[in-house]
Parts: sequence; C-alpha cells; structure tokens
Amino acid sequence: MKYILMMNTMKAGAGVPNWPKKDLQAHVAFMMRLNKELHDSGEFVLAEGLSFPDQAKLVRAGKDGLPITDGVFPEGKEFLAGFWIVDVDSPERAYAIAARASAAPGPGGAPLNMAIEVRQVPAGPPPEML
Amino acid sequence: MKYILLMTGTKAGVDGYRAWSKSDVERHFAHLHKLNKELTEAGELVANHGLAAPEQAKVVRAGQGGLPITDGVFPESKEFLLGYWLVDVDAPERAYEIAARLSAGPGPGGVSTNMPIEVREIMSGKSSEMQ
Repeated sequence: MKYILMMNTMKAGAGVPNWPKKDLQAHVAFMMRLNKELHDSGEFVLAEGLSFPDQAKLVRAGKDGLPITDGVFPEGKEFLAGFWIVDVDSPERAYAIAARASAAPGPGGAPLNMAIEVRQVPAGPPPEML
Repeated sequence: MKYILLMTGTKAGVDGYRAWSKSDVERHFAHLHKLNKELTEAGELVANHGLAAPEQAKVVRAGQGGLPITDGVFPESKEFLLGYWLVDVDAPERAYEIAARLSAGPGPGGVSTNMPIEVREIMSGKSSEMQ
C-alpha cells in the first residue's frame, strides 16, 4: 500500500534558507540518508522538494480557458515543502517513516519534530468515480 | 523544469463533491483522463496520484525516542491535498496552462469548476538551493 508523507510549512516558517550552512547540510544529509534507506528497503516510490512558498502561484481557468495566475495566499495557508511516496506493508510502517522524517535535524542539530501529514494513495480512483 | 500542480480542498468542499451526480463525476473524470493522456503523449507527465479521503489523514510527529505520535485532528479550514500532477515542461507558462486545463474541469451540470490549482516549481536538487 502506498502512502504520501507531506512536510507542510507556514510561509512565516520558510526561514530554512537562512539556517547556518552547517545546519542546512546536516539536514540535507539526513534526508538523503533517509531516501537511501527507503531505496534499499524497496519502499521508495518518489520524493520531491518544492521551491519556496514565495514562488508559489495559484492558477484558475478564465472564461476562455486561459490561465489566470495569482500569487496572493491567506496568512494562515500551509505550503507543501516536500513529500515522499512510499510503498509499505502497513500504515504503521508509514507512520514510522514519517516519525523519522519528523526528527530531521534543525538549527544546532536538534530534531525538528515537525508535523508530517500521512495520507494513503489508493491504487486507482475510488470505484464510485469509475 | 519540473512543476507540481496541487489540487486541494477542505472537508466541506469534498462533501460537496460527493453530492455530485454520477454523470457529473464521470464527465469530470473523462476530462482528467483525456488531459493525462495528452500529457503522457507529450512526454510531460512525470507522476500523477489521487489521494485517499481527508477523513483518513493523519499527522505524525516524532516523540521521545523517535517513536511516531499520530493525530487525526485538523482545523476546519485545513486544505487537504486531493491529488497532484508532476509535470516536466519547458516554461512556467506551460505549467500554468496545464493548471488552467485542470481548473476548467467540468463540475455539476458540466459547468467548469474553475477551482484554484497551486503551481510550485520543484527544486532542481543536486546543487545550489539546499547545499
């Protein structure tokens, strides 16, 4: 069964690029090690890091179907910072991986204990949608 | 350059969607299937997934000892990811165009939902941004 693990951040929390270089490198090294472990265990499906929220755009179709882009979001909006898709045997395993990601080191090397949203990714659309 | 197109909705929005008639749902999915086929043929579709219902969402944190602490309570206003499209395109404008196609998907009675689609560039990774 596939799960998506999402790191969400508030715009105000997008201070990551300002971390000391050493802390940033330790964080990235941790994430790369986690990805390698997931590759080795055969659980890795996909992982991506997103560019920072200040570059986010909201797009709607206009009357003629052409895109109308906007870059204004409510203050409280959560932004996706990055995600993993893993293929695991149980939800508990997905939660265990999420806990690993949650404990990624932040400034000074202390675990961030950030919230990771875990959602199942069904194999296809639900039957009522087919 | 890779972009991710995020389709989101609140629980209330999802409940509204569940009230759509069968033919409206079928028309909507036919639109998405057609778009996916086009993107696949153009070599632009990298990955696409729909997610399980928001009711099943959990939030997980590492507790003491690194063990997972799970919680399932979210604020009413929380935007849940419903599905995403990861595309590889030549320009941001093309990503916006694809997002507009998603946004124009037919809703009840065949009228476009015009739902907002969040478009975010993927970090190219390897070098500059985080290292």
